[in-house]
Amino acid sequence: MTPSAPAIVAANHLSKWYGQVIGLNDVTLSVPPGITGLLGPNGAGKSTLMKLITGQLKPSQGEITVLGESIWRNPALYFRMGFCPEQDAFYERMTGLEWVTALVRLNGVDERQATEMARRALETVDLTDAAGKKIGAYSKGMRQRVKMAQTLAHDPDLFILDEPLAGMDPIARRKTIRLIKEWGRAGKSVIVSSHILHEIESMTANILLINQGRILAEGNVHQIRELIDEHPHTVYIKADQTRALARQFLADDGVLSLTFEDEAVVVQTGRPDAFYARLTALAASGEFGTIHEVTSPDDNLQAVFQYLVKS
Amino acid sequence: MTPPATHATPTVLASTARIFDLSLGQMLWSRRSVFLAFLVGGPVLLAAGIRVVSAADRLGLPQINGARVGGAALFGTMIWLLYVRVIVPVLGVFYGTSLVADEVDDKTITYLFTRPIPRAAVLFGKYLAYLVCTVLLVLPSVVFVYFLVAPIGGTIGEAFPTLVADLGMLAVGLTAYGAVFAWVGARMRRPLVVGLVFTFGWEPVVLVVPGYLKRLTVAYYLQALVPHAMPRDSPVSVLLQVFSGGPSVPTSLASLAAIAVVALWWAGRSVEKQEYVLEQ
Repeated sequence: MTPSAPAIVAANHLSKWYGQVIGLNDVTLSVPPGITGLLGPNGAGKSTLMKLITGQLKPSQGEITVLGESIWRNPALYFRMGFCPEQDAFYERMTGLEWVTALVRLNGVDERQATEMARRALETVDLTDAAGKKIGAYSKGMRQRVKMAQTLAHDPDLFILDEPLAGMDPIARRKTIRLIKEWGRAGKSVIVSSHILHEIESMTANILLINQGRILAEGNVHQIRELIDEHPHTVYIKADQTRALARQFLADDGVLSLTFEDEAVVVQTGRPDAFYARLTALAASGEFGTIHEVTSPDDNLQAVFQYLVKS
Repeated sequence: MTPPATHATPTVLASTARIFDLSLGQMLWSRRSVFLAFLVGGPVLLAAGIRVVSAADRLGLPQINGARVGGAALFGTMIWLLYVRVIVPVLGVFYGTSLVADEVDDKTITYLFTRPIPRAAVLFGKYLAYLVCTVLLVLPSVVFVYFLVAPIGGTIGEAFPTLVADLGMLAVGLTAYGAVFAWVGARMRRPLVVGLVFTFGWEPVVLVVPGYLKRLTVAYYLQALVPHAMPRDSPVSVLLQVFSGGPSVPTSLASLAAIAVVALWWAGRSVEKQEYVLEQ
């Protein structure tokens, strides 16, 4: 990134309210090219900001520009943007290939070319084998990946990813993080939201901290890294052999507690980096069957934000 | 940063065609279509029942209030009372009000509104899918009813021209009602309630009130297109006489076309301007 590089997203006294509820409050920011992490607990205003950036919402006050242009009612900008929304919503009866093809066709591409682009996108997210399966039959992780496929299929310059790793298994997570970093290296820009610092940190050092509709801080992730380490990190894991997997964690120094909820194990760890690395290695070994879901509640970050707001 | 690309936004027409492609299959196999297929199946069952009863009767002609009516007149009555007054408006309400609302409820609207197409094209494409879907539901049902009822006391060929006119008239009705309710769906809260009140409250009441208010209905123009000579000396004929005295066929067609175009244009404009806030 060069110091003079124009902002990919710029907001000037941007506010958004829903009736009496404030979603975003007088935000002024300038997002440089490259990868930027938008970090905040649930309800902090991340999705509102994402929806303003993607032109789904109109600012109540202030203005926002994306790639130098106003985004509201400016559909031509979507040629250059790819959006992966947070919600788990699909045309369930379509196959992954049909769905991605149909969306790519809306970019003005003919059927044959759209199918080819969709196939490539599905290959990128490792869904080639499941391309012909109905989305309704996809696992949570596959659904996340097919959303990523529709985001990248038309080769946009700017990716807006709202909680893209939620629900992915460790291997898909690692691949997606690698993919995002590759986009950054290829000169694309990415704005990625999460409520998990660890995830954001693995993609970029450049972050925007958001809470209660305000930007708390912009800049380097390492500055708040020490704070998060003081708070235990909770991870929820669903696997074929949850109990056998949990036994592997008992020996880890960083693991503070283990509890079982339905068919999942909830782990509290003081060293999330080491824990995720171990989890990925265990998933890759296949020793404990498939790891279906890895999620992290936002309590971790909430604790840090409470600390930040108080101090 | 990559320099701005020189993409031109696809035209409304091209985008409409692509949304139509995307939506038709979804709409045809939706739970709504299955449910409404039962509704349009009702007249077919009724016609089959009448056919069986009339076959058992020596004269072969069913009676309405003591007067014997032939198959052609019976078919006309069914078209008017079941299709024009109930099925077509109900299909219009249930599909028309949900064109965009379904995507919002399912939270899939995001995928369509973050693509380089005019937002209005989403509504227009879905409206076209609605037309094809409802025509595919209604017209076969009418044809079945015709073949079951028309031979009673007559021949199939005798009333065939009226069948063709009926099919055209119903397609025009679906076009007009669908557009009106697409506007209601794009513009109003609780569109289904508004649509049902319009269909079963406003229209029947206003149609029997003397004066100009009846011009603010779709049924007023649609009834002028009904090609049937109705049976006399029965409550049905009395009922139909109440509705008579409508505009000429060209005036009706022009009015219905104007209603459809204006309602769709307003609906498209609303979709362009409106924000859709999805529940997380």
